[in-house]
Amino acid sequence: MSKVLLMGSPNSGKSLLFNRLTGLHHKVANFPGITVDVSTGRLQHLPDRELIDFPGTYSLQAISADERVAVDYFERSLRDPDVSHVLCVIDATRLEKSLYFTLQVIRECTRHHKPVTVLANMIDVLDSHKLSLDVAQLAVAVQAPVLPVSARSGKGLEAVVTALQGERSLSAPGTTESLEPASDERLRITAHQLAQRFGASGDVLIRNQTRLDGIFLHSFTGGVAFFFIMYLLFQSIFTWAAPLMDAVETVLSTVADWVIPMIGNQTARDFTADALFGGIGAFLVFVPQIFILTFVIGLLEDSGYMARAALICHKPLRLFGLTGKSFIPMLSGVACAIPAIYAARAIDSPRKRLLTYMAIPLMPCSARLPVYTLLIAAFIPATTALGGLVGWQGLAMFAIYFFGMFCGLLVTALVSRTSKDHYNDLPFVLELPPYRLPSLKPLLRTCWNRSKHFVTKAGKIIFAVTVGVWILGYFPNFGADLGTSWLGYLGHVIEPLFAPLGLDWRYGVAILSSFLAREVFVGTLGTIFGIESADEQMAPLVEHIHNSGMTLGSGIALLVFFAIALQCVSTLAILAKESGSRALAVKMFAGYFLFAYAAALLAYQLTSALT
Amino acid sequence: MTTNLWSLKSGDRCEILGYDHALDDKYRIRLMEFGFHPGESVSCLHALAFGAPKVYRVSNTVYSLDDEVASHVLVRITP
Repeated sequence: MSKVLLMGSPNSGKSLLFNRLTGLHHKVANFPGITVDVSTGRLQHLPDRELIDFPGTYSLQAISADERVAVDYFERSLRDPDVSHVLCVIDATRLEKSLYFTLQVIRECTRHHKPVTVLANMIDVLDSHKLSLDVAQLAVAVQAPVLPVSARSGKGLEAVVTALQGERSLSAPGTTESLEPASDERLRITAHQLAQRFGASGDVLIRNQTRLDGIFLHSFTGGVAFFFIMYLLFQSIFTWAAPLMDAVETVLSTVADWVIPMIGNQTARDFTADALFGGIGAFLVFVPQIFILTFVIGLLEDSGYMARAALICHKPLRLFGLTGKSFIPMLSGVACAIPAIYAARAIDSPRKRLLTYMAIPLMPCSARLPVYTLLIAAFIPATTALGGLVGWQGLAMFAIYFFGMFCGLLVTALVSRTSKDHYNDLPFVLELPPYRLPSLKPLLRTCWNRSKHFVTKAGKIIFAVTVGVWILGYFPNFGADLGTSWLGYLGHVIEPLFAPLGLDWRYGVAILSSFLAREVFVGTLGTIFGIESADEQMAPLVEHIHNSGMTLGSGIALLVFFAIALQCVSTLAILAKESGSRALAVKMFAGYFLFAYAAALLAYQLTSALT
Repeated sequence: MTTNLWSLKSGDRCEILGYDHALDDKYRIRLMEFGFHPGESVSCLHALAFGAPKVYRVSNTVYSLDDEVASHVLVRITP
């Protein structure tokens, strides 16, 4: 099957054009090692051709590792005999930002004898403002056919299919000077001259954008809009996703209730109930959150607001080595680290993305809440001060939430100042695209692909670890007593590790099992203390914790430990997949364990000295 | 008068003169790819409070640059 490459700079409408040409029937893969999607799909009207959506880039002169990978892929593709044609998309309304890249692409295609066609997208926008682009003269100037198209309305797409059928070559228009030997510097000057000659002039094209920016970037209205939009985003992952997450759990438990009684063998029944359904449920429950967050972030990106939000947040986050684009992933991390790590894809600088990955697991995610609630109920008195205005338990909850965020920013500030990875950094030069109405179908398709990626890639790892932990907790006594299981034995083995925090083997077992998900800590302690449904009714468990002889220092040490430790297999799995580096996930797990342990030890010692 | 792009206030226009030597070459190249060429006319559309990145217009494209980049772009303010 012959291949057609689709090239273009960011915000040129390339992805929408890809969806139009393939009719949304495509698959998405990740570039090895970088968080850039590559979509491939058969052309709707030429099913013997495969269209490859090349990642949007401003230039073939790479200035970061991510860009280098993408550019190398393009160069390899040009040597591939199966690649029969290259389509290069430019934004007809903003030629000055697309033409340099286009000329580079044409030069490389000429060098490798590949036909190339330039698609002048958004021609409908020019039409609506009674402007025009002289495509015939532009074609002569760039030495390649130029077709006016509109990805949004579908205008001009038949001509694209005809061009691909005929394999029109770039030698078609009359030429003045060959682009092949031109240096990048020469192409930059040529692109600049062509943009001035052919580009639309005047304010008409950016009038609406300027008007809306006057609201969204205004000191007061911009601030109000920002907080309102972020509030909606937060609601979407916390509140709107909750009924869907409950529905997933209900469906799974209904199926489990139907299947499990049919299994005769006790071990097989326990395995199916706890490991199989428990394991599948452990990752399927995140799918609604991932879907909804991807949808909301897609709306923000496609509408053009995301770039404005990044601009507003940039300055304060830069103090901690981050970028404005880190804000939304970090905010999402307060609900759950998994969709937050996906959200970090929007960060174009690999270095800033890595730092954001480091901050996300320290955001106080919702899985920490049951652990915090239990420990605060056990050790902080339910009394108030200042005439009832300040509740000590509420204050403690606020403090531990703030502590997690503070640690996240502390880590990124330290790492960014001690490790200078200049090559992977990018300057803060952010294109503010025009405001547009998002296209829902492609967006829903992206949400589906992202959810599928999570289930098929990270799900396997999460399931495998769940089964492993179940085996450790079930054998050799077939689930009779967690304390005498292999997991219990491991708890005894690691008891000396947690003894300096004043914690015995029971808490060691609960910490080990909470690697599946932090909230499992509560259920495991309940099992050890022989309490049914401890995660729903905490009062008896609080009583048992008191009676176990655990001190205030140990309680605070545990709180600090859980605020920092990366105790979540799902987060680690998705981190490894998204970053393309298992080593990073392992290093972060080990690093945050040591950090959490040291901070917990310090908290224990300080509290013990003061009480 | 020669100044830098960061010093522009909202509504100011300028002509780009060049870049100072402290700006990394790869950043200079990227700025030129975006259209920030010597001789090009640039206007400052928004200068936000608290030192947030400023918003500039080059032809029909709008970019936001922070002080780490914009302060290295040498410009002449034009009427």
